[in-house]
Amino acid sequence: MKTLEIRNLHVKVEDKEILKGVDLTVRENEIHALMGPNGNGKSTLLAAIMGNPKYEVTEGEIIYDGKDLLAMPVNERSIAGLFLAMQYPQEIPGVTNSDFLRAAMNVRRESPVSLFAFIKAMEKTINDLQMKEDLAHRFLNEGFSGGEKKRNEIVQMELLRPSLAMLDEIDSGLDVDAIKIVGDAITKLREETGMSIIVVSHYERFLEMIRPQFTHVLVDGRIICSGGPEMAQRIDSEGYDWIYKEYNVVPAAEAEETGKRPASIGVCAVRESVKGAAE
Amino acid sequence: METIRASQEILLQEGYNAFEIDTAEALELKLTVSRPCDVFVRIRKAPKLRVETTVREGVRAAILFYNSSDETVRSEESFTVFKDADLTVAYGECSHGDVYRNSRVDLRESGAKALLSSASLVNERKEYNIEVANLAPHTFGEIRNYAVVLSSGRLMIDAIGRIVKGAYRSESHQTSRALSFADGQRSEILPELLIDENDVQASHAMSIGRVDEDQLYYMMSRGLSIEQCTSLISTGYLMPITEILSNEELRSSLAEEMERKISELCSM
Repeated sequence: MKTLEIRNLHVKVEDKEILKGVDLTVRENEIHALMGPNGNGKSTLLAAIMGNPKYEVTEGEIIYDGKDLLAMPVNERSIAGLFLAMQYPQEIPGVTNSDFLRAAMNVRRESPVSLFAFIKAMEKTINDLQMKEDLAHRFLNEGFSGGEKKRNEIVQMELLRPSLAMLDEIDSGLDVDAIKIVGDAITKLREETGMSIIVVSHYERFLEMIRPQFTHVLVDGRIICSGGPEMAQRIDSEGYDWIYKEYNVVPAAEAEETGKRPASIGVCAVRESVKGAAE
Repeated sequence: METIRASQEILLQEGYNAFEIDTAEALELKLTVSRPCDVFVRIRKAPKLRVETTVREGVRAAILFYNSSDETVRSEESFTVFKDADLTVAYGECSHGDVYRNSRVDLRESGAKALLSSASLVNERKEYNIEVANLAPHTFGEIRNYAVVLSSGRLMIDAIGRIVKGAYRSESHQTSRALSFADGQRSEILPELLIDENDVQASHAMSIGRVDEDQLYYMMSRGLSIEQCTSLISTGYLMPITEILSNEELRSSLAEEMERKISELCSM
């Protein structure tokens, strides 16, 4: 059983604390949706699990498959089975997709993948994701459109076959058809491998395809409530306000804005009262 | 491939030429290009090398010097390009040894054109003094240097584009880029344009920098070690030098050799 366990995770970015004590357990074969307003820590959580050096873990632990992830460099986390489909994939000029992917496949194998087997696997994946045929020979993400970059993340995922896939707004920048292609590819891969998934998405349409069994809402660096798929549906139709009220929380972005708000309210209130007096 | 161990004059053949320099002594070569040709020169051992090349009127030539010596190479090179001739000189440096190179191109007559380009994986000391001189009107000179500097490497490039008085309507351009992966490295690139004529075009671009941390993180998140990332990025950076070879077979075998060498040096 490959289980991801996160306990009391605190993460800082450039001296600002973003995660303020996150607990989360993801077991094999489970699909978890991570929701919450922008700027409240969803991407930070995924980046910290993957090991982005810009995110400093100040407290807490992340265990995967019994191993202390925080003690492992990024590449070893990948070899341990983690995959992060990034929100903003990097462009790497001079390095072709095929050279990159072959190297990435080989680090997790006893003997290197043969050229023939690699080409076949690559062709199949390109076909699954309906990418252009020259993908293998193009430089990694260089000059790709936003949608192509996102699909290329899934190409990589399909070839590397992780045991835990993290999808960070992989659906943003994709048109309706592409969302379907990507959703189908992920679903198929999951059926084949039984990988667990943590998905960050704002779109119910995408979540319907991925079918998470669990929903967690991250507000101001903490998971303030968790539930089943019905919670994601309710958020889609009603937004987050009911959660703020029910759990008495203020989202991080708004907490910052409230500092400025009294001035604007004051101005409006004055106008209102003047108007009222004139009537 | 013909092995050269003693000083000599060589009239290059039309088409494809390949030589190998392998000597512990001082060596002087005089190369004459009178017909269009591609030349591959492998340096196996050359502690003290002198190469004088003349490119005759209206001829096109491409010469690639590939250094696979693991000892110090000192090289003095001069290239004289006559009317309407077109010369490309490329240096491929992935060796374990130090390299001290002085290289000078004279664009002697109008219409002469030259590109001097280098790709270096710098693991030791590499010092290049490069000058391309426009000595006649309507001449075109260009210098391109690409280098990846590894932790024990030291790179110094002095690149000069010189346009003399009277060499009107000439162009002198240069680009030098050095990429490093570690802290505390020293690379020096001095781009110089010495121009004594008004009606000309000239430009220079230079950058020395570290590999982008986000790019490394991205590649490592797919399981590659930092050494593998270094090797892949370096290969992408330096490999275009092989493209000056028009012989497909030689190009792919050189590309393979470079890839091997780069991966070896990057994992040291």
